[in-house]
Amino acid sequence: MTDQAIAGRRLQARDNKLSDEMFITALVAGAAIVLFLLASMLVPNFFQFQNVVNLVTNNWSVIALGVGVTFLLVSGNFDLSVGGIVALSGVMAVWFAQASDGTNPLSTGWGLPAWLAMMGALLCAVMIGALNALFVVVLRVPSIIVTLGTMMLARGIAQVVTQGSQRNTNLPSDFGALGNMTMFGTSIKLPVVLMAALILIAVFVERKTVFGRLTYLIGANPVASRLSGVDNARHVVNLYLFSSLVAGGVGILLASEFKSGFSNRGTLMEFDALVISLLGGVAIAGGFGSVIGMFFGAIVLATVTSAATGLVLSPDWQFTLKAIAVFIAIMAQTWALARRHSS
Amino acid sequence: MVQTALAEKALSIKDLTKDYPGVRAVDTVSFDIEPNTVHCLVGENGAGKSTIVKMLTGALEPTSGTMAVLGKPYQPNSTQDARNGGIGTLFQELHVVDQLTVLENLTMGMEVSRFGFLIKSDLEDRVTKTLAAIEPGIDPNARVSSLSVAQKQIVEIARAASSGANIIIMDEPTAALSEREVERLFGVIRRLRDSDVTVIYISHKLDEIFELGDNVTVMRDGKHIATKPLAQVNGRPELIEMMVGRSITHDYRPRGDIADNPVLTVKGLNSHLLKDVSFQVNAGEIIGFYGLVGAGKTEVARAIYGADKAHGQVTFKGRPRARSPKEAIASGIALVPEERRTEGLFTALTIRRNIPIMNINKLAKFGIFQDDQEKSVAKEYVSKLGIATNSVEKYAEKLSGGNQQKVVLAKCLFADADLLLLDEPTRGVDVGAKSEIYDLIRDFANTGRAVCVFSSELEEVLGLCDRIFLMYDGRVEAEIRNGATVDIPKILNIVTGGGKAGT
Amino acid sequence: MTHATAQTGVERGFGQRLKTFLKDYYIYLVLIAVVVVLSTANLDKFPLFERGNFLSERNIINILRISAPILTLAGAFTLLMISGYIDLSVGSAMSLSAVVYAMLVINGVPFVPAFAATVVVGVILGAINGFLVIRLKITPVIATLITLSLYKGIALLLVEDGVSAIKSGGGLKMPGWFNDYGRDGVLLGLPWAFWVAVLVTLAMIVVQDRMKLGKYAAATGGNPTAAELSGINTKRTVITLYILVGICAALAGIARSSFMSLGDPLSGDGMELTAILVVLLGGTAFSGGEGRVLKSFIGALIIMSLTVGMLTLVPAYFQTLVVGAALLLAAASNHLVSRKDD
Repeated sequence: MTDQAIAGRRLQARDNKLSDEMFITALVAGAAIVLFLLASMLVPNFFQFQNVVNLVTNNWSVIALGVGVTFLLVSGNFDLSVGGIVALSGVMAVWFAQASDGTNPLSTGWGLPAWLAMMGALLCAVMIGALNALFVVVLRVPSIIVTLGTMMLARGIAQVVTQGSQRNTNLPSDFGALGNMTMFGTSIKLPVVLMAALILIAVFVERKTVFGRLTYLIGANPVASRLSGVDNARHVVNLYLFSSLVAGGVGILLASEFKSGFSNRGTLMEFDALVISLLGGVAIAGGFGSVIGMFFGAIVLATVTSAATGLVLSPDWQFTLKAIAVFIAIMAQTWALARRHSS
Repeated sequence: MVQTALAEKALSIKDLTKDYPGVRAVDTVSFDIEPNTVHCLVGENGAGKSTIVKMLTGALEPTSGTMAVLGKPYQPNSTQDARNGGIGTLFQELHVVDQLTVLENLTMGMEVSRFGFLIKSDLEDRVTKTLAAIEPGIDPNARVSSLSVAQKQIVEIARAASSGANIIIMDEPTAALSEREVERLFGVIRRLRDSDVTVIYISHKLDEIFELGDNVTVMRDGKHIATKPLAQVNGRPELIEMMVGRSITHDYRPRGDIADNPVLTVKGLNSHLLKDVSFQVNAGEIIGFYGLVGAGKTEVARAIYGADKAHGQVTFKGRPRARSPKEAIASGIALVPEERRTEGLFTALTIRRNIPIMNINKLAKFGIFQDDQEKSVAKEYVSKLGIATNSVEKYAEKLSGGNQQKVVLAKCLFADADLLLLDEPTRGVDVGAKSEIYDLIRDFANTGRAVCVFSSELEEVLGLCDRIFLMYDGRVEAEIRNGATVDIPKILNIVTGGGKAGT
Repeated sequence: MTHATAQTGVERGFGQRLKTFLKDYYIYLVLIAVVVVLSTANLDKFPLFERGNFLSERNIINILRISAPILTLAGAFTLLMISGYIDLSVGSAMSLSAVVYAMLVINGVPFVPAFAATVVVGVILGAINGFLVIRLKITPVIATLITLSLYKGIALLLVEDGVSAIKSGGGLKMPGWFNDYGRDGVLLGLPWAFWVAVLVTLAMIVVQDRMKLGKYAAATGGNPTAAELSGINTKRTVITLYILVGICAALAGIARSSFMSLGDPLSGDGMELTAILVVLLGGTAFSGGEGRVLKSFIGALIIMSLTVGMLTLVPAYFQTLVVGAALLLAAASNHLVSRKDD
């Protein structure tokens, strides 16, 4: 009886602690801080406020993509198509906006106003998302294969439209407005602010809304969630559409920032988005992870890569570093959760 | 084949006992199985048959007692051990590889090779002969995926036989078979017996036992009741009497007259397993569906709930059959599924997170979740259902079976259902929690809402239900009104297949 | 035959038989169709096809030479997918092997030891994958994405900064025999690399049909529980298959680097996609259990004919689009063919 009471109290004590997700997120955040301090000791001039800001602002696009990818991973699905969609939507936005009287094919477009061109490009992006949803949900092809295919499809269309290079001429003057607008009198650009807003909204959706709850339920136990009245299929369709919408937005903002539609833009971005989600503790089996964790995962990766650059390591190090970081993150997560559950 | 009086027993079990915390599932059971016989093992659910099978196949370790195969002590630790010890098992779940040929399946794991290369041996001839001896109709070179379930079973039997098993255990092998396939399987079993294999046959279908068995062992409440040649058993009545042995105690209290006010009408429900199922459920009524494993109870529940494909007319509160669980819940139907841990519960989530799932929008305003409300709702249901926990933040996987089931029930109650479908509501639940769950079900029905209980425990339906539908082989065979005068042997007769013969 | 099918009690109408026939032989029909279309198309104005004839000797040799890496890889990759696992790192493993091989050769190591050492590298790379997946229990997709990045990273690091690949220069010179293996015709005008690919494929067919490993792979992918219950060591089976894929990736790397005369750390990029495409086209189910090495070989021939053919018909920038679309089509048709009829 007393034993039981003690056991009960111990359980209660644990129940009052952080949830597993918050625990892992805290670990990742801790790792980010430790790595930053470590880098500050090793790399000259690393320990600066501006550097912290840069870690975020230089990576706004991948962090934004990470939001959609994280939601999908939590529901138990991959999305590797986002990098291709970034290229596609950027190229399409430029193509639609280019004046229709160019001197050669690559400078001739549809002559649409910038805003309409961008909407059109967004539509193209969402169509790729719809294709993902069709193959994964209706035809039940594994998401990894489907989204590898659509990644190539999207990038392939971009390459055809740009004849393998880029479109950057004959654009309306306001095309670059969105991507280069600075905010609040600082050097921070609109895309970074939009990314921050997206993160805040995503955290809210994930923590506070029914939509967020359903995402976790589907990932945790798809059979039980269906029998509990969740429309798994529709939800996963929505997640793919959402992810492609975000990727489309990122592609358009990048195109606007550089005033060009480049068919190789966003190469490997799908990989980086997956990497930061995994670094942030999102579990591939589904039902576990958080957007905040993904955000700190991005900070970890950015710290590591920029410290490597600061240490004058060749940029070739990035692949090896990413591999090691993801490996350590996965092993650390497994180990930490196992310890937590056995103690 | 001359048998001497001193022939070794194929299997002898002595003082076998298995204790679970608080329960003695098998109580000092001793019996012998003669070689080259079909030995049937019968008893109601919970009589201890499957516990014995699990000890024989190495899935469970006996608390005490011994087993011996052909006179040699036998203590398996795994299925593999059991197989090496000469005991093969035909599980209800098939263990064949669909993509390989019959022959490849038969030789799987026994391949003769040198440096990894397969070499010619008599293995293939041997297994082909074994297969041909028990079922010549199966082409050894056919893909297993092209075979029927019955033929796949036969492939598994042949594999067990050719891997040198002296004893093959078959646990409800006919549950998924058609009548013709059952006949064919029986032929196989007889030929096996004639080729020096002993078969331990477990089935609820008493006709099969009389048709096939040489000897029978009857179990009841974990105890051994009798082992004797079937020839000496005086028909189904004697067997049923041995199985029941006592008047089943049930505390059914008639719940007053229930008005003829159907909320659920099912007409001609058909699916891959169901055949023309029709019934009505009135408001305030508790309906029982009783039948053996595989009789179609779960399928009825899932069809009404929109979880499986089915044809037929289902009307609930004037609306047609739900096409998805989501629609069913919206119309006021909630299901407690058969498999609690995999289908009903989110074990990785806390109690608090589990309870509102089936009606999650009730706790949301404009799609935004009301966290504080969730906590108070969870606390309310924890106290209402008497879920034993010190915190609503406890993970569902840490709860006992009974408390897990109460959480699943809480999910359904929170969904504001007018019709509860309960599939095996107290399986794996301890006695205390069981009666609490029964009280909850009665309270629910007393508010004028309807309940369907799908159960393979007779005591459960007799203790709880106002009307009982007896199911056998995908059909509703009979409807009985519960009361003091229920004829239990007759019920057992019907659900074991005696209804068709008109006995 | 009719007797047997009647006995098994399965109804087989014309549709069913047609379906079975298509399932068994469609890959050959596709190959024939591709060859016919490419040979009848008017290709006069394209320089790659001699006198516009797809079936010309030079053209066929050219296609088969270029195809050596994927032909080498397809068989082992098929066996791995049959066992229900996947290796996304094959492209990087191939790049790394190509770099290692080129480095050895440029530093004066003779052909045989360089070749053997590179194969050993392949064994190690495959074993690392197997270790991550089986011992550390990391999901195959993630584990091999990690090694995709790792192997590619190492390959890039092995090549000096500011240089794109291992090649003559900086005081080192690639020996003249370096590209004999990948280019020089030794039999029927085809180089060693191609004949090694054929040998490897034959070996994989033997593994599939005549060795325990092949049977175990199918059993592991078809029904892991049944395999374990039959006493099959599924873990050892899968690790062995990863090592086989590693070896084949190394052979593919050697073929590619000697064809291109350099050790390019990006030469295997995208190979994992081609491999998946080829294997799916060959009818291997992504759920495991089913597939034929030979059909993947044919699938690789089809894809390479199309790729080379396409290069002559449309500009190169169409390639990504077509490969992506082909992958989706192959996945969809694979799904339709392997779907259970119920």
